[in-house]
Amino acid sequence: MALFGSHANRRDVLRLLAACMADWWLPRRAFAGRRAAKPDRKVIVVTFGGGVRYEDTLAREGWINIPHLASELVPQGLVYPVARYEGLTGHFNSTGALVTGCRQNVDAYGSEAPVTPTVFELFRKEHALPPEEAWVIATNKSFGLMGGSKLRAFGDPFSANVILPKQLLIETIKSAVSTEAGPGVEDRQALAEQMMVALDEGYEGFGWRVFESGRALGKDLKATLAKSLLEYFNDPSVPTSGDELTFFMTKEIMNRLAPSLLVVNFWDIDIAHYGAYSLYLEAIRRTDRLVYELWQHVQTLPQYRDRTTLLVVPELGRDSDVAGNGFANHRSGDDSCRRVWLVALGAGVPRGAGTERPIRTFDVAPTVARILGFKMADCEGQPLTELAF
Amino acid sequence: MPFDAKLTGEAASLARANDAVLRRLPATVHAFILSDLQKWPALFPAEQRYQRALLEHLSRVAPDELRQLTGGIARIEAEAALDRIGERDPTAFQDRAQAALRKQNLVAGWRREIDRFFQQIDPALESRLYPPDAPRRVVLQLYGSGIAVQPDKLWSRLAGAGTRIPLTLDGIRSSRDYLRALFDASGESGRTSLFQRLRNHADGAPHDAWIIEAHDVLHGLLDQPAASPETHSLTGLSYERLLPYRDALMRALFSRIQSGVESPQAFAAYARGLKIAPEPGALLNPAEIVQSFVRDVLLTGNGTLFVNNTFVEWAAVQAVRRAQPRMLVTRYGVRDRLKPFSSLVLFSRPRSSDRIPIVEDPVGSFVDVEQLSYYVWVHAEKSAAYRQKTLYLFLAENLEQMLAIRSDRPGPSQPPAAPASLGDVCATMAHWLGLPDPARSGRPIAPLVG
Repeated sequence: MALFGSHANRRDVLRLLAACMADWWLPRRAFAGRRAAKPDRKVIVVTFGGGVRYEDTLAREGWINIPHLASELVPQGLVYPVARYEGLTGHFNSTGALVTGCRQNVDAYGSEAPVTPTVFELFRKEHALPPEEAWVIATNKSFGLMGGSKLRAFGDPFSANVILPKQLLIETIKSAVSTEAGPGVEDRQALAEQMMVALDEGYEGFGWRVFESGRALGKDLKATLAKSLLEYFNDPSVPTSGDELTFFMTKEIMNRLAPSLLVVNFWDIDIAHYGAYSLYLEAIRRTDRLVYELWQHVQTLPQYRDRTTLLVVPELGRDSDVAGNGFANHRSGDDSCRRVWLVALGAGVPRGAGTERPIRTFDVAPTVARILGFKMADCEGQPLTELAF
Repeated sequence: MPFDAKLTGEAASLARANDAVLRRLPATVHAFILSDLQKWPALFPAEQRYQRALLEHLSRVAPDELRQLTGGIARIEAEAALDRIGERDPTAFQDRAQAALRKQNLVAGWRREIDRFFQQIDPALESRLYPPDAPRRVVLQLYGSGIAVQPDKLWSRLAGAGTRIPLTLDGIRSSRDYLRALFDASGESGRTSLFQRLRNHADGAPHDAWIIEAHDVLHGLLDQPAASPETHSLTGLSYERLLPYRDALMRALFSRIQSGVESPQAFAAYARGLKIAPEPGALLNPAEIVQSFVRDVLLTGNGTLFVNNTFVEWAAVQAVRRAQPRMLVTRYGVRDRLKPFSSLVLFSRPRSSDRIPIVEDPVGSFVDVEQLSYYVWVHAEKSAAYRQKTLYLFLAENLEQMLAIRSDRPGPSQPPAAPASLGDVCATMAHWLGLPDPARSGRPIAPLVG
């Protein structure tokens, strides 16, 4: 069967895969019988993530890399060009600061949860909302514990659902191989094996084993399927990066569950660690496009249109050329590592505005709290008062 | 903190002779010095000179003054209760001290104090190590043919610096021709290349001249039988020639991943302990210290295992920082386009089923090398060994132009009226380095040597 024989077919397969993944992973409405005060407003926080420098993005010379933000989204919203991240300049702690409003100092590789309550826990607890109301969708594989703190009064019962789409893909493949209970994906086995072959060895290998067991396949079949899948991945019309997969999964979750609070972590930009400036710029442009497409998607969904506030913010910057180690790293802790920006769009946001008022990324969490109507005491940030709550 | 560094030889003597001052230092500084002394055989002469100078300088500082200099560091160490760490090996102590500082959110403050300490002692060390009459240096950065150079954007990060000098490339038909002319490396009898002249002059050592390249054209040129004396006259790293070594490292890392690792830190520790050497012939100078250097570059530099130009830049920056060669040549090349999802497939072993053809990215490579060559310049200018003493040359093969920056006079100057030949460029480098030019292959370019 020419499962991936044309672009249209490839897209069909992708939709089938999404259905397959979603059916297995997305929770049923477990809290269906419970009355919950679901707010009218919705918030999507997008980390323009992986670490970007101001000069490569929102500064005048960086506009060329963010054409959608610069010419289409910023004119519709409010821009804070002077934002700053205070804290350890790793991805987990900086994103932890965004979702808690407090600086975090936990393991940089994600083996520890944030130490103060996250917006997800506070939101769900105060409004008695089911888990499907709050989501983290993350390209960064170390964000498994980003959805909730370790605090006794919070934690798992109130955490967000966290999806790491790449990991999910692998788990889905394992499920597809091991059970007959999945949805009716034609040639499911072939799909699963093709995905496995592409993703098995050393997938994001650094310190992370992806799967424990594999299903033995005939060599010829494996080789044939591998070739088709690699061609499939090579096609520009299908997800070719982690962020594309994250975007894809975000849309699926929005379509199916319409949660009130989503944090979407894009992270391809961190390819800058490879030291190839052109790949870093390419990832910035991709993120810019995905943010734009996400906002377009919001407009197509009645549950989101006119009631959604989108906050786009890099979780941290990268080193400066002179004081630090350049775009490739974000270790120096210099100003370039900390200088970021924030763009707000949609419900409650003045159009075409900007303010030079310095803000901090800690301000994101209390802003989300104010929009969604829950209390956020004892955090370091302050709500962005320019927004209408 | 009574450390047990298990030092031997000259490092042990040095530590013994300066034991009193070492004990007066805050534990993290003490451990840092001992940890460097533990690596003594793997330190380049410039690094050893620095350690000697550092200890001698600190020994001359009065105890009260030293206490004042290091007070900020000691205060943070006390706040972090580092004295509770019982570890006696200095390197292991450093790891635990860093973890403790991180845990208590004190890393930034500690780093600030460390910077402040070195800012206070560096001027004295630098004036001693690099007096005004210290040797001059050349850093030449070359964009190999194949890179899609956009002349209007060329060396844009250095706009306003140095002088653009027109070149004539008469008779140059290939990269090999270009490089032969540039380094006077024709291999003809009676002619010695620039590298050989540097080696022969004033007790030059192989570490005095480095070539670091993405491919291996320059290696091939200097490795020819006719030029065999070159082999040990300089240190050369070729990303392409190191392919079997890179594969061996990747296989080892991959195998470790397959067997499971507890954490990225544990993985890094495993990588540090790998004992795999480059194959014979992979390095022009196969000395142990160079092997160790290459291993560090490949295992500690982000992307150096995967991207050729990243390897060139990071190796060059490390060479400038550590070996401080008098002549450094980098030659960048065309990087392969990353395969879809390959940004996620670290340490993966390619299989026969991976049929996606390798596609080069000459346009992206130009964007990359513009940034990377600039970084090499930035890092060199941060070093007292290079500041004020270096002639920086930027060239792109097939392009009749070069950018030259004298670090002692970095502003633009009047370019010569007539285009210079590659022989003139070679003669300029020789003149700058104070080397003889017996064959007179060209004439030094006046604005650069005047």
